[in-house]
Amino acid sequence: MNDYVDKRIERFETLLKEIWTASEKYLGTFSVKLLVERAVWDLSAEYREIELLQCDEGGISCAEIAASVKKNPNLPVDEMFTKFITKYVEILARLVGREKTDKIVKKLNEEFGGISFNL
Amino acid sequence: MPANLLLSVSLKYWQDFQDTLAKVMDANIYILDINGGAFSQFSRDVELCRKMNNGGKICNEKCLRFYKDTLGSLEDKGTFTCPYGIRLYAYRLGTYAQKIGFLLVTSGRIRTRVDSEEENVFVTKADSIYQTINEVLKAILEKNLLGLRRLELNSIYEISRLLISTVELEKVMDLITNSLIIIYRAELGFVGLREGDKIRVAQAKGDHGNLLIGKEWPMLQPLIEKVFSKVEPTFLSADELMTLPGLADLKVNSGNKIMVYPLWTSLGGVGLLGIVFYPEAMDDNDNRNLQIYANFAAIALANAKLVSRLEKEAETDFLTGFFNKRAMRNMLVNELERTIRYDIPLAVVFLDIDNFKSYNDTFGHVAGDVVLQKMAEIIKNSIRTVDIAGRYGGEEFVIILPGTKEEGAVAVAERIRKSIERYHLPHRKITASIGIALAKKSDSVDSLLERADQSLYQAKRQGKNCYCLETS
Repeated sequence: MNDYVDKRIERFETLLKEIWTASEKYLGTFSVKLLVERAVWDLSAEYREIELLQCDEGGISCAEIAASVKKNPNLPVDEMFTKFITKYVEILARLVGREKTDKIVKKLNEEFGGISFNL
Repeated sequence: MPANLLLSVSLKYWQDFQDTLAKVMDANIYILDINGGAFSQFSRDVELCRKMNNGGKICNEKCLRFYKDTLGSLEDKGTFTCPYGIRLYAYRLGTYAQKIGFLLVTSGRIRTRVDSEEENVFVTKADSIYQTINEVLKAILEKNLLGLRRLELNSIYEISRLLISTVELEKVMDLITNSLIIIYRAELGFVGLREGDKIRVAQAKGDHGNLLIGKEWPMLQPLIEKVFSKVEPTFLSADELMTLPGLADLKVNSGNKIMVYPLWTSLGGVGLLGIVFYPEAMDDNDNRNLQIYANFAAIALANAKLVSRLEKEAETDFLTGFFNKRAMRNMLVNELERTIRYDIPLAVVFLDIDNFKSYNDTFGHVAGDVVLQKMAEIIKNSIRTVDIAGRYGGEEFVIILPGTKEEGAVAVAERIRKSIERYHLPHRKITASIGIALAKKSDSVDSLLERADQSLYQAKRQGKNCYCLETS
């Protein structure tokens, strides 16, 4: 069970890194970081663990979330990350336009077909 | 999502907390947001309410109307009887400055008749529930507010860091508009730069932001005049915004608020910062904090303007408005590089006014300056827009002719020479001698200019008022 959740988090981390890279191209590192912090802040009332998402100029890491899940295996990981990505993309669309966002989402859907998020 | 931006609460956790409190206090609790819409569900089953509202939230038309009317006029707290006879205790949640919503408390057991002692006991209980819930919500609000201010501070720090470098104007504008969308959830944010007698939108982010970029509004346009008639921001309606030229395709929700900050600096009005947002998305504090972004935008624009003016002055000859020697040499470096890389021709023309010293000595320096200005005008009218002309010093001019071979350079030189010869100056006729050099792959700026100069002196030796092409 733990292995399965670890793999899910790993997959979400890869997805978030892809989103980070794709948005950085349009927004620059600082604005992407601000956007991640905003989405974390929005979601933190519902999922405290999202505050463990680490992001700096170097990128994004879910290592601390993975460690926390070991102590709290009931954390709805898929639901939390899906809501996070939805919030992120919602604001991203306003910043870079729906067309560019759709391109990013399309590319991610192709590469991460196994992860379903409602965008 | 509650209507109040700052009250970000997990409804799942909140409902658990509310239900536990209701159970402990043996009361029914229900919360509405600031607009009178449902926030949480009934904590305990009240058969009558459940029947009328088909579930845990108020949806019965009669009830909705009652709550809207009652709560709309509620000061701090009050006791009411609902249309179906339920006695309820209503409280306004939040502070005077930051209104959150409304709390409704009813007895867990609905009775048609209660004595005054029972009533007093329940009022005390309802007051306690209110104190608890209000304190918790205020704490959540404070926490949320701190989170928002942290985001604000981060972005303000980054913008101030970028301001150190004035070449980062684009980045500053980008960051300001991004921050308006990310932090304040603005629908649209835009920065307009003042260019002479008009404002040009240089950056816009948000819904339909691309429709705004590049739009130009005259400073004399009534709305722009109104914005710049004061220091504080101007609040506009969607219809007012639409009176600006070129916004016919822009769709702004009529319920949105629009705020336009004039960007004032010691240089005067340098631009404006516009924000379109949902009324609930910002409070008075946010409006004040936005002034910080407006101030930063103003400083960035003023710095950029000053630098651009200094740069222009540093490369312009004051008398003729032509490029000066330093600027000409810099441009020749670039043109020579292009010539060598892409194997395209390049010609340089050196022009010197004949007997200018005696003209100056005879008729005075003011008359000499007029000659120089006239020569510049003639040169400017004799070359293409892609050609580059400059005053090299004294009575010498240099013209760079990109993509021009021998025949073209000769034609330009002759055109200029003849125009000068034909021109009637007030005191006496003026002529010019011209030297032409064609760039070679082995050329440096110095070697190319040196050859053009040699050709010019060749022309002087040949009797002046003629051109001479370098002999390779």
